[in-house]
Amino acid sequence: MINTVMFVMIGGAVGALLREFLMLTVGTGPDGFPLDIFTANVVASFLLGLGFSLHRRKLLNDGLYVLIGTGVMGGLSTFSSFVLAAVQLMDRTGPGPLSSVLYVGLSLAVGFGAVILGLRAGNLGAAPADREP
Amino acid sequence: MTPVDVLLVGVGGGLGSLLRWAVGKAVGEHWHKDRFPLGTFLVNVSGAFVIGFLATLFGLDFTVRYGDVLTSGVLTGFLGGYTTFSSMQLDAATLATKSGARYAALYLLASVVVGGIAAALGILLGNLVGAA
Repeated sequence: MINTVMFVMIGGAVGALLREFLMLTVGTGPDGFPLDIFTANVVASFLLGLGFSLHRRKLLNDGLYVLIGTGVMGGLSTFSSFVLAAVQLMDRTGPGPLSSVLYVGLSLAVGFGAVILGLRAGNLGAAPADREP
Repeated sequence: MTPVDVLLVGVGGGLGSLLRWAVGKAVGEHWHKDRFPLGTFLVNVSGAFVIGFLATLFGLDFTVRYGDVLTSGVLTGFLGGYTTFSSMQLDAATLATKSGARYAALYLLASVVVGGIAAALGILLGNLVGAA
């Protein structure tokens, strides 16, 4: 229990910092499109899918999965900034509303594709019977 | 980004993640995740409300992410760590396998629509409090 608490906190701190560094590296996209938040969320979705599959195959133990999955990937991705950007872009003039709609649609679709890809990557080499999430 | 910002984002992210985990654990004791991923949904919707409220009250655009305790520690750190996009997508993938793609799409759509409404309500409250 105390280990889990520590793992979640340390993982979350590392994840949030990775998100900020990744966002600074990527930068914002054209027409206000939040390419930085988009990238952080898609990368975290892929890695969480990968970690989930590896954990299910016992290639990642419970503690490490809590540290990486719940902590780092939870901290790396963000829903609050995602929604705030979408709502504020809607309120902007010019290409704002179009960027907002594109941003939400692409985030959901590409994020979903990323998690599926991660789940499959984590299943590579596993027996077919052992593949369902 | 200064070393103080790094510290604030880290501490906020750690504490926010801990609260997310605690809410998920509490919800999980009363609700089975296979029906609907309620824990992640509640965390994300409440986080969207709070960020809408704080950003409006303090007149912050979503592009302002660090520089003081509010932006680095609370918005980027704590709320970023508290809410999660990756778990939402993993829940959707699980739903797609167990209940079908339509159900997964519905869950994602509900998260964004209700999250958007929550953020809009937070903005409304922020404007009301700011005007008072």
